[in-house]
Amino acid sequence: MSNLPDPIREGLKRGWKVLGGPYGEPPARIVCDVAIVGSGAGAGITAELLSRAGLKVVIVEEGPLRSSTDFNQQEAVAYPSLYQESAARKTADKAINILQGRCVGGSTTVNWTSSFRTPVSTLDYWQKHFGLAGFDNDTLAPYFAQAEARLNIGPWLTPPNENNDLLRRGAARLGIGAAAIARNVKGCWNLGSCGMGCPTNAKQSMLVTTIPAALDKGAMLLVETRADQFELANGKAASLLCSASKAGPVQAGRAQGATKIVAKHFVLSAGAINSPAVLLRSQAPDPHGRLGTRTFLHPVVMSAAVMEQKVEGWQGAPQTIYSDHFLETQAVDGPIGYKLEAPPLHPVIFASTVAGFGQPQAELLKKFPHTHVLLALLRDGFHPQAPGGAVKLRGDGSPLLDYPLTDFVMEGARRALLSMMEIQFAAGAQQVLPVHELATPYTAWSQARQAVEALPMKPLLTKVVSAHVMGGCGLAGDEKLGVTRPDGVHWQIENLSVHDGSLFPTSIGANPQLSVYGITNRLAQGLAKRLGAGDVILA
Amino acid sequence: MKLGIASAALLAAGGGVLALLEPGLREARLTPAGRAVFSGVGRAMLDGSLPAEGSARQAALAGMLERVDALVAGLPAHAQDELSQLLALLASGAGRRTLAGLSGDWATAPIAEIQAALQSMRVSGLSLRQQAYQALHDITGSAYFSDASTWSLLGYPGPMKI
Repeated sequence: MSNLPDPIREGLKRGWKVLGGPYGEPPARIVCDVAIVGSGAGAGITAELLSRAGLKVVIVEEGPLRSSTDFNQQEAVAYPSLYQESAARKTADKAINILQGRCVGGSTTVNWTSSFRTPVSTLDYWQKHFGLAGFDNDTLAPYFAQAEARLNIGPWLTPPNENNDLLRRGAARLGIGAAAIARNVKGCWNLGSCGMGCPTNAKQSMLVTTIPAALDKGAMLLVETRADQFELANGKAASLLCSASKAGPVQAGRAQGATKIVAKHFVLSAGAINSPAVLLRSQAPDPHGRLGTRTFLHPVVMSAAVMEQKVEGWQGAPQTIYSDHFLETQAVDGPIGYKLEAPPLHPVIFASTVAGFGQPQAELLKKFPHTHVLLALLRDGFHPQAPGGAVKLRGDGSPLLDYPLTDFVMEGARRALLSMMEIQFAAGAQQVLPVHELATPYTAWSQARQAVEALPMKPLLTKVVSAHVMGGCGLAGDEKLGVTRPDGVHWQIENLSVHDGSLFPTSIGANPQLSVYGITNRLAQGLAKRLGAGDVILA
Repeated sequence: MKLGIASAALLAAGGGVLALLEPGLREARLTPAGRAVFSGVGRAMLDGSLPAEGSARQAALAGMLERVDALVAGLPAHAQDELSQLLALLASGAGRRTLAGLSGDWATAPIAEIQAALQSMRVSGLSLRQQAYQALHDITGSAYFSDASTWSLLGYPGPMKI
């Protein structure tokens, strides 16, 4: 437990309007200007801007309010309290495990701070294929710059930890470009515990920046409160029905709302998977069959290496070095490209990720301090054979993502495993083990290459994970191509906007937090104007 | 292949068969049936990581089961329901033989036999058996190594004090 000053507890003492869970039952009816569903990247930016513009804002968060005093750097505490489905959310065929936040601040509370502007190649693709003329780099640049200033996003000047430096050194020996990752931190202690919630409040997540700013301006925050569905009529959302999130599953098509929120405008920022699910439960119009489709994951494959020296991948800032070599050396719409990074390593994630069991697994686990891991994020959504997945509802109203891993994607996974292994051997690895049920530790690059070229790259044999969920309420300049207009408003519901990663018509091809901040910053400024509030900018 | 068809048939029988079995979870905790499965799976999966000495080994497994309970409590209802059904099947004689390919029961089967069964699930052509294996693998590893008492095995010092 941290004994450092806790800005959330201080804010509560100052009289922030927080209800739900331990903070008391919300009233049966709330009236406001704008109700925002979620409190992550898109919600936080929107809440701060609209509150500062003088609008009466209510934020509805399904997860709990936890803060630095609670963040004890323990996975066993963090995963059940801060993540969707205890960090074990799975796709329909259970071949992909998804990490997504479920707490005040959303995924920004638990992410690894990697900050990239939306790549130009991605924006170009959106303009060309989705009619998003205004989504060019020059137009968006000031909105990214404001988000960077507001969240202290900048170069990380501390030397990388060994896990990341191995990526830098291995890539350099092969002539592959690698560079430093910008981070959203202020006074970071370099602990490496970002994924369990920052215990020192250094990470400039929504939890410690925009949500407190909105609450200081009088916004209301409902926690442990789930948005069940909108009541829709005549092309508008009349109200949002909410209930206590611990009160059991949502019933599709049935109003459970213990709390009804009536607002002039609604902003859905529940994140990809959950935002489409709210619309599906609301039976929102979907004349072109787009809702929930084109949901992207940046499917991730991993390779573990054992080094002679200690790596201790649990300590030091995670993900500080990356390589875009395998994104930039081929066409965006060609064979699937991938971004390379080095993730943080902690016992629970490590033990559940290391394949196998018994003595062979025990031998691998003992080498934990010497283990170096690389991951590859596959850039999905730019090719007909990487169309992403579709969000559906279970019988209990909870969302389920059906994401078939196509042969096209899995061949990219094979190339990614090969690239990572080659870099790891170049960095001096004694043995390399791609995370695949049929792989064994390899001690030389030629042996590893031959083995991996022959592995069946099948779902459930190849370990695939994701921490970046995008799409499902895609932006498009033509209503036939998407769910939302270029200004973020739902094509068929005039007072409902979507402000989160579910807007993206493809994956981003980079860790998406800054893409969400920058793009929703622009959309929220436009929304403030349309609602007749004052001009505001983020920073 | 025969095994695959048998598993599929058993699972296709679905609710009818399941209704007769003791669920693997009750009120978000392992039932005796669920505990029996995880005790056996834990012995085999964690072989090489569990303490060698008998009473320490028993205590370590008991700790793991407690932490499986804690982990299960954090899962959403749909995931608890699925896990409960899986454990119910695996705890039944017919389910254990067809889904896991294990003839002896979880409490008395030798470690090598349980490991052979787990390996057959792991590389099975039937996705249901692979999914079952992965659920057991991930839950066992996550639960066991979530406690500080196990971290010395990993050479992990625990988080930095602040």
